[in-house]
Amino acid sequence: MPESPHPATTHTRRTVLKSTAVAAAGATLVPAPAVAASSVPAAAPTTAGGVAEAMEITLSVNGRKHAVTVEPRVTLLDALRERLALTGTKKGCDRGECGACTVLVDGERIKSCLTLAVMRQGSAITTVEGLADGDRLHPVQEAFIRRDAFQCGGCTPGQIMSAVACIREGHTGSEEEIRQWMSGNICRCACYQNIVAAVADAAREVRG
Amino acid sequence: MTGLVGRPVARVDGRVKVTGAARYPADDPVPGALHGFLVTSEVAKGEVTDIDTSAALAHPGVVAVLTHRDMPRLTVPPFPYLKGFIPMQDTAIHHVGQPVAIVVANTVEQAHEAAALVAVRYRAERPRVVIDDAAGPPHLPPPFRNRPNEIKRGDAAAALARAEVRVEARCSSATRHHNPIEPHATTAQWDGDRLTLHETAQGVNLTKGTIAAVFALPVENVRVVAPYLGGGFGAKGPLWSHTIINAAAARVLRRPIRLVLSRAQMYTMAGHRSEFRQHIRLGATRAGKLTAILDTTTAQLSNTDEAIFNASESARLLYDCPNVHVRQEGVRLDVATSSYMRSPETTAHFGLETALDELSWALDMDPVELRRRNHTEFNQETGQRFGSKHLLKCYDMASQAFGWSQRKRKPGATKDGDEYVGWGMATEMHTFGAMPSNASVTVGVDGKVVLRTATQDIGTGTYTIISQIVADAMGVPLDVIQAHIGDTALPVAGLSAASATIASVSGPVDRAARAARDAVVGLAVADERSPLFGVPADEVETRHGHLIHSRNHQRRDSYRAVVSRAGEPVEATGSGPNLPGLSYGVVFVEVRVHARLGSVRVTRVVTAHDIGRVMNRRTARGQVIGGVTWGIGHALMEHTVYDRNSGRVVNPNLSTYLVPVCADAPPALEALFVDEPDPGSTALGARGFGETPITGVPAAIGNAIYHATGRRVRDLPITQDKLL
Repeated sequence: MPESPHPATTHTRRTVLKSTAVAAAGATLVPAPAVAASSVPAAAPTTAGGVAEAMEITLSVNGRKHAVTVEPRVTLLDALRERLALTGTKKGCDRGECGACTVLVDGERIKSCLTLAVMRQGSAITTVEGLADGDRLHPVQEAFIRRDAFQCGGCTPGQIMSAVACIREGHTGSEEEIRQWMSGNICRCACYQNIVAAVADAAREVRG
Repeated sequence: MTGLVGRPVARVDGRVKVTGAARYPADDPVPGALHGFLVTSEVAKGEVTDIDTSAALAHPGVVAVLTHRDMPRLTVPPFPYLKGFIPMQDTAIHHVGQPVAIVVANTVEQAHEAAALVAVRYRAERPRVVIDDAAGPPHLPPPFRNRPNEIKRGDAAAALARAEVRVEARCSSATRHHNPIEPHATTAQWDGDRLTLHETAQGVNLTKGTIAAVFALPVENVRVVAPYLGGGFGAKGPLWSHTIINAAAARVLRRPIRLVLSRAQMYTMAGHRSEFRQHIRLGATRAGKLTAILDTTTAQLSNTDEAIFNASESARLLYDCPNVHVRQEGVRLDVATSSYMRSPETTAHFGLETALDELSWALDMDPVELRRRNHTEFNQETGQRFGSKHLLKCYDMASQAFGWSQRKRKPGATKDGDEYVGWGMATEMHTFGAMPSNASVTVGVDGKVVLRTATQDIGTGTYTIISQIVADAMGVPLDVIQAHIGDTALPVAGLSAASATIASVSGPVDRAARAARDAVVGLAVADERSPLFGVPADEVETRHGHLIHSRNHQRRDSYRAVVSRAGEPVEATGSGPNLPGLSYGVVFVEVRVHARLGSVRVTRVVTAHDIGRVMNRRTARGQVIGGVTWGIGHALMEHTVYDRNSGRVVNPNLSTYLVPVCADAPPALEALFVDEPDPGSTALGARGFGETPITGVPAAIGNAIYHATGRRVRDLPITQDKLL
């Protein structure tokens, strides 16, 4: 099953923290506007202002483990994009309506804007960057190119991740079934007929 | 010639888009960038009386909160800044969602949280936000971009009074929002007086000039970068105020700042298709010849601008009619500024094509035959004959493929289970733009070809088509070509709106590539080390990356070898003006209307289009399937709802503003093309096309619903409740 995320065998521990000395710099440069008086590191542990303490967690993404310090309020989507620089996963609505942020968590498709990073420790997360096997594209990726199943590409990572799961779920028995089970991912360019064709193609290849 | 132009070549940007490697403006890494988030007005009319930023400033990670008190004085720039004013320059509030403060913090979460902690007090007045609540009658706004809002040809009123047959229809359409999947994003990075924007811009050069005017910068001090765009549909054509405010904040704080609009903010910050009313009257002979078209429309305008985008172009241009009176009125309301939205003429075209359908029933004439009888080979306003127009062929192709001749000449005559089945059609038309553009082509010592032009790919296939053009012009394979676009550091090109991209860049790209080819051929025939030494340049053919003597194929060289021996890259440029024009087509649809529920499904669609030469049948088909589905959204689903008391948008999200999903797209769709090169085209025989295949869809659906049920609905969207 090519869509199955592989457990990490190599650990790359890196802390992806955005700049921490920002507040102080801003304060010295800007006299007039209202500027934060105290220097507070980006995601440093704090309980000030009712914000829960940031914590170091480990996320397993595309077979690699990443140590990342996040506040509990950080979504998995923002952890991927802003902390791990995995910008293939897109933010379209940030409220679970468009599907652009779909990723696989332990093989299931979920909307990464609707789950918190801290809730996904110990899970195997797969993003669009982790789908290909080196230079060899996943059958769903191949099918999307072959069937011209995208235009702007803004929803495409989410469509592809959703399609991988849709095929594994067995919801590709007919075009009508694909249309229904791929309706959680909006394509505003509206390549829907081509998306259905791509998913059907890939399903034949993956499921045999 | 490798002959790639016209072939259904797979998208060259496919791999980066399916692997997540394509970097969109919100993905570009900008070291040290802070995160901005806007605080927006909760009232529609009045003024800000106080802003308390203390709680926001106390929030961890917050760097600054800027309000009207802190913003530098800025200049309202010219088109394409449509808003008429820059927010946060004073305390006046003109619409809900107008920015009143920007919070800048280290992380996205901090900025969002702190924005909610900014306490704003207002003096609020009761707003008027929908046409029904307008204070007075509609008025005729002054010309917008030199285009008058009232156009008369002949004497339409007198011709209508004399007409043998008359049809009158009053139509309406709700406010719509573009909703590209990628929200508007801007990252401003200053280096002294130089500004770089990573910007979701459909026209990097227009944005560059406009933002330079805001800050009174020399234009060359600004760079705008947008290599990929996650959809635009017009929303990212104009410059909007969030970009200005974010850039101003970045200048004040001397730090790069990234700002991404929330989905809800996109409903008040970046344009929309206006709420719309239409009163259309047609006069005709009993033989179905149009004698009069009177088309009076009313658009919702803001209180700070008067631009009308829902233009009645088709009433003026599409059919042969000597007496036409178009009047585009507006009412000023306390709403955000409207703008262009994919096929702006769709709104008014619905009225024309609906009224024609009604006329066809009044005459007991087939609606296709009615349109044939009013076909014209002449531009109705200039009197000039079109150099190339194959609309009649479109009617033939599509009606035959659809099986139109089997249509029952009676409404409500076909039922299949619980559903009434109906067929409808409408003509499609779009006036496309074209802008002066430039391109350069460089052949490297490694034989690689780099194409540079500051156009954009908003999903329509620009990367692919301009690469096909270079491949053909030079005789090189696609895989040695790299196209760089979406950056003002590249040769100046026009914006990607008004279906203008291919019409604008094809000629310049072709000329640059041919000039590069000629330069390399010139090097080869002058080089003693080349097998082609001494061969007349016009006897050298180029294909598959090789230069070949046309009369002796054994004598051959390669781009790579020639340029490698020369020791330095060969560069050539191309430019040229381009011509705007019209594209045509027709759409036939089958709908199924549930007898008890009133739900409508569009089950089958056939289109045929005359777009000049089809550059790439895949990407062209992509525009058709996208356009048809946009037309379904326009006809049946999409509508922005305002609360008339508060002026707020009630449904600023994708769960209550419904756009078509996969299950809504017609399962059967056939996209046909005439594919005859337009001899008048400056774009290798092609015409602008992208927006054409929406224009007729809403009317075709409405006409099909009438055919299915006998009920004529003239108010869009045709939601279920209107058919119960």
